[in-house]
Amino acid sequence: MNAIEIRNLSKSFRGMYAVDHLNMTVPQGAIYGFIGENGSGKSTTEKLICGHLVPDGGEIKLFGKDYTDAGVRVRVGALIENAGCFPGSSVYQNLRMQTINLGLENPDEEIRRVLEIVRMQDSANIKFKSCSLGMKQRIGIAMALLGDPALLILDEPINGLDTDGMRIMREILVDITQKYGCTVLISSHILGELEKIATHYGIIRQGKMIVEMSAKELESRARVFVSLKTKDMAGAKAVLTARYKSVKEEEGFLRVYDVDDTAEIVEYLIKSGHVVSEIKKNKIGLEEYYVELMSEKEGE
Amino acid sequence: MQATLEIKFESPSFAKRIKGMLGVDFYRLFHTPLFYIFLAIAAIIPAMVSAMTMMPDQSGNTMEPLYSNVWQIIAASESLYVINGIADYANMNMVFIFGGIMVSIFIGHDYKSGYVKQLFTTHAKKQDYMISKSLVCAFAMACMCITYLIGGTAGGLLAGYDTAVDVGSLIIAIVGKIIMSLGWASLYTFLNIIFRKYFGISIASSFFFGTGILIIGAAAIVENLSLPTFSSIYSCTARL
Repeated sequence: MNAIEIRNLSKSFRGMYAVDHLNMTVPQGAIYGFIGENGSGKSTTEKLICGHLVPDGGEIKLFGKDYTDAGVRVRVGALIENAGCFPGSSVYQNLRMQTINLGLENPDEEIRRVLEIVRMQDSANIKFKSCSLGMKQRIGIAMALLGDPALLILDEPINGLDTDGMRIMREILVDITQKYGCTVLISSHILGELEKIATHYGIIRQGKMIVEMSAKELESRARVFVSLKTKDMAGAKAVLTARYKSVKEEEGFLRVYDVDDTAEIVEYLIKSGHVVSEIKKNKIGLEEYYVELMSEKEGE
Repeated sequence: MQATLEIKFESPSFAKRIKGMLGVDFYRLFHTPLFYIFLAIAAIIPAMVSAMTMMPDQSGNTMEPLYSNVWQIIAASESLYVINGIADYANMNMVFIFGGIMVSIFIGHDYKSGYVKQLFTTHAKKQDYMISKSLVCAFAMACMCITYLIGGTAGGLLAGYDTAVDVGSLIIAIVGKIIMSLGWASLYTFLNIIFRKYFGISIASSFFFGTGILIIGAAAIVENLSLPTFSSIYSCTARL
């Protein structure tokens, strides 16, 4: 069963489509990285799934049921834009309110559980307004985790976090899916971080889904390349272009695409009179794939 | 990826949904200082008004008393439901103005903090929010009516007003005001949800509706328009 299944979803504001006949499939148990530039419709899609906005048309199904089904909705947690906490209340009070809202039977136990998941068990009595950005994001996730959600929707949860905050967040998200079987839909601009945890990806542009794939598919689509440096970059480029199909000078390196035999390239360059000062094997990651895909779409 | 688990979804009943929503709103109400501040204001203002009107001014003369007996402070000795002018708010009706401001701040805070998104994510039915907010705000106003009664009675007794009143009238007056709180709370909740993105307009609309300025003003304008009476219209049509 899919956790989220969206067909032909549309939402417009003043005649402009923010979400334009979007199709999306999030398998149950996945960490789905939702990627797109600013204003591409990620947040609008997430708000539509959470019922914060009313769609103009299309269909949203959560676990095979309509997204307005009250039974499904109590099992959805979300962190969209902000944690949704009262600044003057303590972390405990904010979480307590959500336990009452959800009608949970053992609120204190449940609060302790979610605070442990987000590594904040010692911060229950701190006022929300006194928390750092990283703490606020984690409290937002704790709020969303109350009531054992089957689906978690997180809008840019790692934005503005420092390296340590990102690492903690990454660990939390992996824990949630592995220990609790929760499906996570996460949007982010920090593709390097997303790549470390996501099992599936969806790339959206101008309100339309342009590609959906699993991490394994991305891996198989990823191009390999060898990057190298020589004293005479222009000369080496001319020599390499004569033998290899795709040679580009990028970020101070000569990149030879679709080749992973460094020894062969070094031998060839030496024979041609070029000394290689630096050489390494690489693979196109999510970020490069995304940039390439976007430039292809812009060219269309 | 984790092996998929069998997930069960149970639809919560209306009673369970509303219980959760009411629980949150009551928890917030009792944990917000604003509620206690308004209760105190509702008690202090009538006490101040009644005591101040009995104080002598600089020349040693006492002011014309605003009330002749304690129960006028809560409007128990006169008709309860008719408000002829803004002066009629110098009694328990002013609770409805305090209530309007409190509801505006309460709902405004829900939207400003983003908490409402947490509620709407887990609650598919948005009318639950309206019902719960109306009931809790009506409760808050009813509490203000009671502190107003206490403050007004204490102030009136200290100022030496007459305390003679028919007990039936008094009970009906209090119950009447408490019931009216529900109507006002629903109106304020509705207005505040409509103007949720504009906090200033929410407060202003609550104030204008709460004081009845809009209705009193409209009545005053219509009165000065010299519109034809029904009898003049009837006589004209009869002649035709």
